[in-house]
Amino acid sequence: MTDYGISVLSLICMESFVALSTYLLLITGQVSFGQQAYFGIGAYVGSSLTALAGFDLTFAILAGALVAGVVAAGVGALTFRLGGLYFAIATLAFAELIRLVWVNINYQVEVDGFMVGPKGSEGFRDIRYLLDNDISSNQYLWIIVLWLALVIAFFIVLERSRLGLAIRMVENDETAAASVGISPTRHKIMAAAMAGAIAAIGGVLFAHFMTFIDPRNFGVMLGVHSLAYAMIGGMGTFIGPLIGVGIDIGLLESLRIFSGYRMIVFGSLVAAILIFRPRGLLDEKTVHRISMRVRQALGNNRKSTRAVTDDPG
Amino acid sequence: MLDFAQNTLDGIMVGASYALLGLGFTLTFGVMRRLNLSYGPTIMMGVYAGAYVSLNVYGSLLLALAIAVAVSVIVGLVIEGVCFRAVQSDNPLASMVSAFAMWMVLEEIIILLTWGRLFPVQNPSGLSTFDIGPISVRGDYFALFVAAVVLMVGIYWLLFHTAFGRKVRAVGENRKSAQLVGIDVNRVSREIFVLTSAFGGFVAFFIAASLHQITPGFGLWATVKGLIVMILGGIGSVPGAVLGGLLLGIIELQAVWYIGASYRDLIAFALLFLFLVVRPRGLLGQGERSS
Repeated sequence: MTDYGISVLSLICMESFVALSTYLLLITGQVSFGQQAYFGIGAYVGSSLTALAGFDLTFAILAGALVAGVVAAGVGALTFRLGGLYFAIATLAFAELIRLVWVNINYQVEVDGFMVGPKGSEGFRDIRYLLDNDISSNQYLWIIVLWLALVIAFFIVLERSRLGLAIRMVENDETAAASVGISPTRHKIMAAAMAGAIAAIGGVLFAHFMTFIDPRNFGVMLGVHSLAYAMIGGMGTFIGPLIGVGIDIGLLESLRIFSGYRMIVFGSLVAAILIFRPRGLLDEKTVHRISMRVRQALGNNRKSTRAVTDDPG
Repeated sequence: MLDFAQNTLDGIMVGASYALLGLGFTLTFGVMRRLNLSYGPTIMMGVYAGAYVSLNVYGSLLLALAIAVAVSVIVGLVIEGVCFRAVQSDNPLASMVSAFAMWMVLEEIIILLTWGRLFPVQNPSGLSTFDIGPISVRGDYFALFVAAVVLMVGIYWLLFHTAFGRKVRAVGENRKSAQLVGIDVNRVSREIFVLTSAFGGFVAFFIAASLHQITPGFGLWATVKGLIVMILGGIGSVPGAVLGGLLLGIIELQAVWYIGASYRDLIAFALLFLFLVVRPRGLLGQGERSS
């Protein structure tokens, strides 16, 4: 694979973390414009651990996810009772607040004769973990894919579990959920913590991929994009946001005719899909229909095989 | 003490323009029950158009203002059509995301046309700083303040002394009942977009003139300021938006003086977050009303 292909694929995978994070909140019925905050927390915490303190990448990812998860749970506890619009604005405010913290943070440590560390709006340079450990971009892509696969496995389990059902029920009707003993607040905070942690995993991976992060990486446009991914891909299944990311980066980035017009094409696409398919390409109904059809096909097969074996003649 | 008074005065003058941005948000929300996040980028298009004409075609402040207002209104109507009328989802957030998507489009158009460079906006000439006792008044801030006050008086008159204003308030109070008594809700929606885009474009041009320039980041800036003001004052409250704007202006300029310029926006967002958590209905809000 060419270097260009590797970096496009890596970008798709890393954006997927933020998209899935936003999606997880969407299925609890909360629109967040601010998941880039946790992406940023992961990036800054993770790269501080490897570049400043010499920790291992896996440890940095887990620690970044933990910190972001705890922060997200705290923010969730404060803001979930606001509901809908106010919640969306609160997430936006929080994410910008965090971005401005990065702009104002200034802390360097001498590592091997270099001054390393976040330097305000100039960003955080020399996150040299991959270079120091001889990890090629090809190998690193596999590390990213592995983590993404873990997160996807989590979603597959979640969508089949009682917890996943409970979360969707909270979205559909909070009162009904509460009446059968599902605490809406507890499930929302749990979802927020998980969403924060997922975004942070992507953030740590992103920082080490770039070797250089600056506060502009974590601006509001990242949050809007990730929301748009879920909106256009569809909110019926976790595959939706992944399709969204694929459409944006994969298609528009690799089709060079769109270069320079990417935002215009993508923005218009989102606006058009919201008009014609308000819940995205793969919405709940479509997903249900497809899964019914698949199940039916499988069922028919089973029936016909049984018919064959049962046939005495 | 003198510093404090000076900052407060500057804050009031800047805050008056913030108040108008907040009014743009609050009035649109009152009628649509939807948040128009494209408001900032919409009026930014107007300012760019006005600045372009006054630089390259004919240098006149009045002409530039007229162009800025006209283009803002046209873009505002497009946004209303694409993001609000066409998006018939019962989820109010669909329009919000759609408006955000249009924001991306508008910002990218500007970046393509200007190569992302900042664009000069001519300052109304002949506005020099003058002194009142020990306090000095910046001429362009003063022009901004006067323009904002004139607009606010005009908006107040429109809202509370005309048939149009009565309709707007009726729709804001209850959309369904307004429809039942024969108010054309769609028409009022369009009219409120024309109104908010027009005064938004006007005040945005003065803001850009006091900064001597405009960048593609202006859309984000204006949207964020308007949002903060609306929340501070209380969603849907007209006097609240004015109060919120002045408060934000004063706090920002005091923060710049006493803490440092790089903390200006940090303080503003912290204030917004704090208000949302502690007092979501703002200073003068009516409390939560179901949408």
